[in-house]
Amino acid sequence: MIELIAALREIVGEAAVLSRPEDLLVYEADGLTLHGALPSAVVLPSDKLQVAQLVRACRAHGVPFVPRGAGTGLSGGAIALEQGVVIECSRLNRILRVDPENRIAVVQPGVVNADLSKAVAPHGLFYAPDPSSQLACTLGGNAAENAGGPHTLKYGTTTNHVLALELVLPDGEIVRLGSPVGVPPGYDLVGAVVGSEGTLGIVTELTVRLSPMPERVETLLGIFGDVVSACRAVGAIIASGLVPAALEIVDRRTIAAVEASVYAAGLPTDAGAVLLVELDGPALAVARQVERVRAHCLAAGAREVSVARDAEERQRFWRARKGAFGAMGRLAPDLYVHDAVVPRSKLPEILERVCEIGDRHRLRLSNVFHAGDGNLHPNISFDRRDPDELRRVTEAGAEILRVCVEAGGVISGEHGIGIEKREYMRLLFSDADLAAMCRLRAAFDPEHVCNPGKIFPSTRFCMESDPKARGYERVELA
Amino acid sequence: MSAGLEQLAAALGPESVFVHEALAVEGAQLEASLRPSSGEALAVTLRLLSEHGLSALVRGAGTRIATANAPCRARVLLETQGLSEAALIDAEEGVARFAAGARLESLREALAGSGWELPLDPPGDASTLGGTLAAAAQGPRFGSPRDVVLGLGVVLASGERIRCGGRVVKNVTGYDLAKLFVGSFGTLGVIEWAWLRLRPAPEATHTCVAALEPGVAGDAAALVAARLPTVRAAAVADAALLPDALAVASRVLIVELAGDAAAIDRDAEALSSRYGAVPTEPAALEALRTAQGAGPLRVRVAALPSALPAAAEVLRSGGALVLAYPARGLLWARFRLSGPEDERSAERALRAATLAARAAGGSYLLEAAPLAARQGREVFAGAASTLALERAVKHQYDPAGILNPGRFVGGL
Repeated sequence: MIELIAALREIVGEAAVLSRPEDLLVYEADGLTLHGALPSAVVLPSDKLQVAQLVRACRAHGVPFVPRGAGTGLSGGAIALEQGVVIECSRLNRILRVDPENRIAVVQPGVVNADLSKAVAPHGLFYAPDPSSQLACTLGGNAAENAGGPHTLKYGTTTNHVLALELVLPDGEIVRLGSPVGVPPGYDLVGAVVGSEGTLGIVTELTVRLSPMPERVETLLGIFGDVVSACRAVGAIIASGLVPAALEIVDRRTIAAVEASVYAAGLPTDAGAVLLVELDGPALAVARQVERVRAHCLAAGAREVSVARDAEERQRFWRARKGAFGAMGRLAPDLYVHDAVVPRSKLPEILERVCEIGDRHRLRLSNVFHAGDGNLHPNISFDRRDPDELRRVTEAGAEILRVCVEAGGVISGEHGIGIEKREYMRLLFSDADLAAMCRLRAAFDPEHVCNPGKIFPSTRFCMESDPKARGYERVELA
Repeated sequence: MSAGLEQLAAALGPESVFVHEALAVEGAQLEASLRPSSGEALAVTLRLLSEHGLSALVRGAGTRIATANAPCRARVLLETQGLSEAALIDAEEGVARFAAGARLESLREALAGSGWELPLDPPGDASTLGGTLAAAAQGPRFGSPRDVVLGLGVVLASGERIRCGGRVVKNVTGYDLAKLFVGSFGTLGVIEWAWLRLRPAPEATHTCVAALEPGVAGDAAALVAARLPTVRAAAVADAALLPDALAVASRVLIVELAGDAAAIDRDAEALSSRYGAVPTEPAALEALRTAQGAGPLRVRVAALPSALPAAAEVLRSGGALVLAYPARGLLWARFRLSGPEDERSAERALRAATLAARAAGGSYLLEAAPLAARQGREVFAGAASTLALERAVKHQYDPAGILNPGRFVGGL
C-alpha cells in the first residue's frame, strides 16, 4: 500500500493524495451513513489523463478503486470497500462548452448539478434532472446513479439527458461513448453506463441535453384530509392525460416536522397530506391545466387548493417538500431515506401498508414522495445508538421493499442499489437476470477492480467472494 | 437435415419449423425457418441453436431486413412474428406490455380509445414491436424507442430468459440492460416482450405545410419552427418525395402540432404569419413516414441540428432527395437506382453520405441498398472507436456468435 500511495503521489502530486486517517474519515461513508468503510487513500485528479494513470496504478497494485462525486449518494455507492482507493472527481469541475443552438453542454463530472442550470439560464435553457441534493451533487455522480428528482415525471431521469460520455475504462483506456446527436454509433453503451453506479469505469466528461425553459410555471398546493385522497387526486390527474412537471406528496407526519423547523411553510398541521403540483409549458395551456388540476383535487376530496401567486410563494410551497429531509434532523439523530417505486395506481394501498409496517416496528416513519412517478421515500427517523431500534429499522426497510416488489414495483427509483440493497436484488431478479448484468460487468471490468462489492448480492455473483468473509461488511455503531 | 434441426423439429413441433431446400435471405443460404410461438419455445430454440452451433438470421416482420450489414454466416432464419401474448394495457398508469411479435398497427388498434398512444411511429405498420426496438427505428413524431422502453423480456443466445427493467416509469435497480438490447439489431439477444411508457393522446392536433426557401435563411427558419412549444413533428422535405397535395414548393416544411388546443392555435398562428403555413390533412404525417422509409437506395445521416443543413446540401449535390427532421438532427437521403445491379449508384450514394457525414461531423447508416452493394461493406459508418469494447459486450452475450453474425456495427 505504501508503494501504491507513492505511485499515486507521483501522478497527481503530494497535495492531491490524502492518506492520513483523519483525512480519510471524511470519506468513510456517503449520504447513507449506516454503512462505512475507510479507503486506503483518496486522490483528487485534475484531468482525465491523471484519472487514467491512477486507474492503471491501482490495477497494477491489485487495489480496487471507486469514483466519487460529492458523496451525496444514498445507497453507499461511493464508499471504498476492500481497502480501495477513492478517486474523487471534484477537481474536474469545468463546464467545457455550452452550445445553445444545439441545446447541449459538454461538462466535466465534478460540475455541480445546479451550477449547470445557472450557467445556461442566460440562453433560456436548463438542465432538467434536479435531485434534491442539486446544490451539492455533481453530474458525474448523477450519471452513475441515474439521478432523478421531482421534475422527472415530465422530463425523465438522467439517462434521458446524457448523450455522450468520455469514460476511463477499468484498464485505464480512455474511450468516448455515444454521440452528441443521441444516435449511438454502436451498442447504446451510454445507456448501459448511466445508472451503473460507478462499476464500469470513471466518467471524465459528459455531453448532456439542455431543455428550453418553459414559458410559464404554475405551482398548486392541495390540502387533503388524508394521504389516500391525495393519491387519488394524483391518479386522476395522470389518467386524464395531464403530464405535470411535478406531483409531490408530503404526509401529515412530515408536515408536522417541517412546520416545527426553520423550513416552516405555513402548512396546516391538521392536514393529512399536501399535494404539490407544478405545471409548466405554453402559458395558454398551463392556465387551462391549472383549472383541470384544481378540479381533480377537489373531486378527490381536497379541502383547499391554492395557486402560488408569485415566485416567493412558489418557493414557500416547495420549501415544505425540499426542506423535509432537513426538518427530520430535529426528530432524531439519524434518518434513513428509503427509495422504492410502485405503479402509481397502487400508491394508496402501499402507503397504508408502509405506515402499518412502521407502526408495527414502533418506528417514526414519515413519507414525502414523487407521487407522479410512484416513487416512494419512506423516511425513518431513528437513533443508531439503540441497537434494538436499528434492528427494527432494517427489518421494516426489508419489509417495505418486499411489499413494493409484490405490487409490481422496484427497489430503487433514483438512489441506486449500492451496498444498501444488494441483498434485496433477488426480490426482483432471477439468477439468470443477475448473471446477464454480470456479463456487462465482465465486458467492462473483467477483473472487478472498479467499485467492487456494489449492486450484486454477495454470494456467487460476478465472481465476487462473500464480502463478509473479506471483512468489509460492517455497520458502524458509533 | 442436421441433428440440430431434427432436435428443433422434435422440440418445437412441425408448425414452428420449416425445412427448405435452399432459402436465400440477405445472401445467406438458409436450411430452415423457425417460428417459435412463445417465450418458452424461443428459449428452447436458442438453446438448441447454441448447442449445435447453428447461427441464425433473426428478424421480425422483415421490414428492415436490408438495414444492416449482410450476415457473415447464417444457417437458419429465426422469425419472431409468432411471439404473441395478450396485451396488458394499464390506462390508469399509461404503461403497457406487448409481445415482441405484435405488429405496430395492431398495438395502435389495441390502444385506440384508451386515452393513450403508442410513441413509436417508424415507417412500416407491419413492423413488429421486437423488430422496431431491435433496430431502434423512429419516425417523424417520436424519438428513439430507447426512451420509451421501461422493461424488456429477452432470451439470450444461451436460451436463458431474462427480464430487465420493470413496468414503472422510474427505476435504478441494477444495470439498465434494456438500453443495450434496444438498437442492437438482434445481435445480443432476442426480445420477447416489452413494457412501454405510453403518451397521453393529445387533446387536439393541427397539421400545416409551408413553402421553404432553399438556403441558410430557410434552414434557420425550419429549426425555429421545429422548436415551437407544441410541435410534435417537424420536417423539411424535397417536394419530389411528397404527394402532389403537399408539394407546395420545391422545398416544403411540414409541421404537426399536438396538445392543448389554445396553445396549438397560437403556434399555428405563428407558423401562418411567419412562414405562410396553411392547414393540411393529418395524413401529411403518413406521407412523411412513407417518404422516410421508401426507396431502394437511401441513407440516414445523424448530425447536430446546426450542421444538418450542410449535410443535406452535400447529399443534394450528390443527386439525392432529402427529408430532414431539423430539431432531431436526422435526415434521410434517397438516391436513384436503376436496378438491383446498379452498383455505381450505390457507390455514389455512399460517397455522398461519407462526405455529408464528414461535413457535418456526424454519422450515417446505409438504410437500404441492393444486397450486392452491401456485401463486404460496412453500412454503419462513423462507428466504432470503441470496437474492442463492443466486441467484448457481444462476446459476453453471444459467445458462439449465433445471433445475426456480422449484421451489426463493425461486423459484430
